[in-house]
Amino acid sequence: MTGRQRADRRAGVAFVAPAVIVLAGLSLYPGLWVVWLSLQQRIPIFGIARFIGVDHYAFLASDPRMWNATRVTLVFTVASVALELVLGLAAALALQRQRLGRRLATSLLLLAWALPSVVTAKLFEWLYHPSAGLVNVLLGGRTLNWLGDPGLALAGLIAADVWRTMPFVALLCYARLLTIPGDVYEAARVDGAGWTATLTSITLPLLRPVLLIALLFRTLDALRAFDLMFVLTGGGPAGTTETLTVYAYRSLFQTLQLGFGSAIGVVIFTLVMLVAAAYLGVLRRAGATA
Amino acid sequence: MRVRSWTGSAALVLLALLAVAGCAERHDPGGPITLVFKHAKIFGPADPIPRLLREFEAKHPGVTVRSEELTWTSDEQHQFYVINLEGATPTFDVLMLDVIWVPEFAQAGWLLDLAPWVTREELAPHFPAAVAVATWGGRVWGVPWNMNVGVLYYRSDLLAKYGLAPPRTWEALVEQAELIRGRERDPKLDGVLWQGKQYEGLVCNVVEQLWGSGTALFGDDGRVLPDLDRAAAALTFMRGLIDRGVSPGWVTAGDEELTRRAFGDGRAVFLRSWPYAMDLFELPDSPVRGRVGIAAVPGHAGGAPGVGTTGGFHLAVNRRTRHAEAAVELVRFLGSERGQRALTAADVALYPTRTALYQDPEAVRAHPNMPRFHDLALVARPRPVTPYYLMISTTVQPEFSAALVRVKTPRVALEHARRRLEHLLAVR
Repeated sequence: MTGRQRADRRAGVAFVAPAVIVLAGLSLYPGLWVVWLSLQQRIPIFGIARFIGVDHYAFLASDPRMWNATRVTLVFTVASVALELVLGLAAALALQRQRLGRRLATSLLLLAWALPSVVTAKLFEWLYHPSAGLVNVLLGGRTLNWLGDPGLALAGLIAADVWRTMPFVALLCYARLLTIPGDVYEAARVDGAGWTATLTSITLPLLRPVLLIALLFRTLDALRAFDLMFVLTGGGPAGTTETLTVYAYRSLFQTLQLGFGSAIGVVIFTLVMLVAAAYLGVLRRAGATA
Repeated sequence: MRVRSWTGSAALVLLALLAVAGCAERHDPGGPITLVFKHAKIFGPADPIPRLLREFEAKHPGVTVRSEELTWTSDEQHQFYVINLEGATPTFDVLMLDVIWVPEFAQAGWLLDLAPWVTREELAPHFPAAVAVATWGGRVWGVPWNMNVGVLYYRSDLLAKYGLAPPRTWEALVEQAELIRGRERDPKLDGVLWQGKQYEGLVCNVVEQLWGSGTALFGDDGRVLPDLDRAAAALTFMRGLIDRGVSPGWVTAGDEELTRRAFGDGRAVFLRSWPYAMDLFELPDSPVRGRVGIAAVPGHAGGAPGVGTTGGFHLAVNRRTRHAEAAVELVRFLGSERGQRALTAADVALYPTRTALYQDPEAVRAHPNMPRFHDLALVARPRPVTPYYLMISTTVQPEFSAALVRVKTPRVALEHARRRLEHLLAVR
């Protein structure tokens, strides 16, 4: 290594250092602290603090409420993200072909996304009202018990989440569609490609990186879903809409079991990191082949 | 009066300036004081608090009270208090807290023991259920302020039409509801509404059912669910209300307001709720105005007489306050007969904890049902008075809900609840 290279390396380290220090201070330190908390029986307001090792994790491993929350979280994530991607893509394609009132349509789309989620939750509380709710009226005056039936509550929450975040996917896709030059489509038409062929050979491949990013964001968000269920169902009925974050919140802030709640937090963190790593791997490969 | 208080405050300001000049940091006991009062937002057409605080200030020259409202959900209020009290920041002096938090905050060491100022005799005029919470562990942690009690509302016009008296047991209630629904032939008329959503309100409903069945959520010896058989029978009965069609299926998602609105629209014969609902049923444009009666929450045939759960708010003092004397004075003033009389104004839907006010002619003119509520609140009982109440409640909520929506049998749900609680409460 020459002196010049060594100087470059030193400069590099100096440039990276602030970012590393900030990240370490804001993410790494609290993260490690939560792991340390999760190894303790700690209810500070009652002066209880003792090291118990992995006891909380052992309890969680055989805790039906934990397994239920994990299942709810995964079902919610897979279903809501899949629907959001499909519907968002469809909305973007529809917008692209729309001639009149495009600006109005994008504004309306944004409205659903711009509403605070607690407002969305209250809105759906009324939509799902068993006797006066619009949803049941539209279903022909049925009296489906949307938020109180263990078979329907999660589906109701997924629908609310899709309504709220589909515009995010739609706008991302739409922005990418605008940058595809018109002559590409022109050439396809000259070659005699139909609508389906254009979609599968031109539009979708070009949208792929954007879709992957939307998928990554939406998945990570859905895994940490909290506000909709907290306001609409409180995790009920029978815990059928209790996600991991709701369980962690109840343990940490409602019943003040810092150790136990932190253990749930660590599990959520691990789950999110695993999913993020898997996606980043896919993205990197996609980037290499693009 | 006005002039005197003006000169009084001018003199105090002068004194204060001298005090500040002398020692910037120390708070002279005679100097002007600003108390911060944290409380939940008061619902209803009128908020009695600002008026009361101005009155207190007029009586205590040199003391100003800043009132700060908290967000309206109970969970958020609790979270605010926990973070700020645990952080030991004296940003507020007086706080209004839900009765179910009093033993928890007391055990955590966040509340000032008021025993040196407030004797037990001073609390005697309040309802016993409220005093039991305020004096947990043999100290005085707060002064009761407003009272809530679970009651049964019934459609007096419908019961009279069929010559029925208000039911004393749930079994009689079911019979009456089925009879009235059968004769009325109105598909939109439900039997009885109650709160079955997975939240604190469900616990209140189940606790009343347990008492009516001769058992409890928390035994006197500190054991959780001491009698599983009776508890399972109570939950089975609640689920049966839905199965038999006496209660609509949606009560499993019903909270206070959802059920109150449906009953208020004339869509049910019975409703289990709190006193505030009566003020709304008697509004001029209410479809059920003049057609609602109040009875005790029913008991069970072969069980015990019905008893309502109590709720409400107490006033307490932050242990870190720098103005203990003034803060205690404010708490005593708001909890005094004068302070609680403000709750009985016609446009306030809060009920006092002082029993005498329920016979007060002026109060009764504004709220004609006060004597009735008095009798029910007098025999009502608080939910388990323990620092671990929230832990217990959030643990049993999903299990009770599971039994109601048929995800688990009542027996299994209760066994799961007990096992979890025994694990969690092992920290004691």
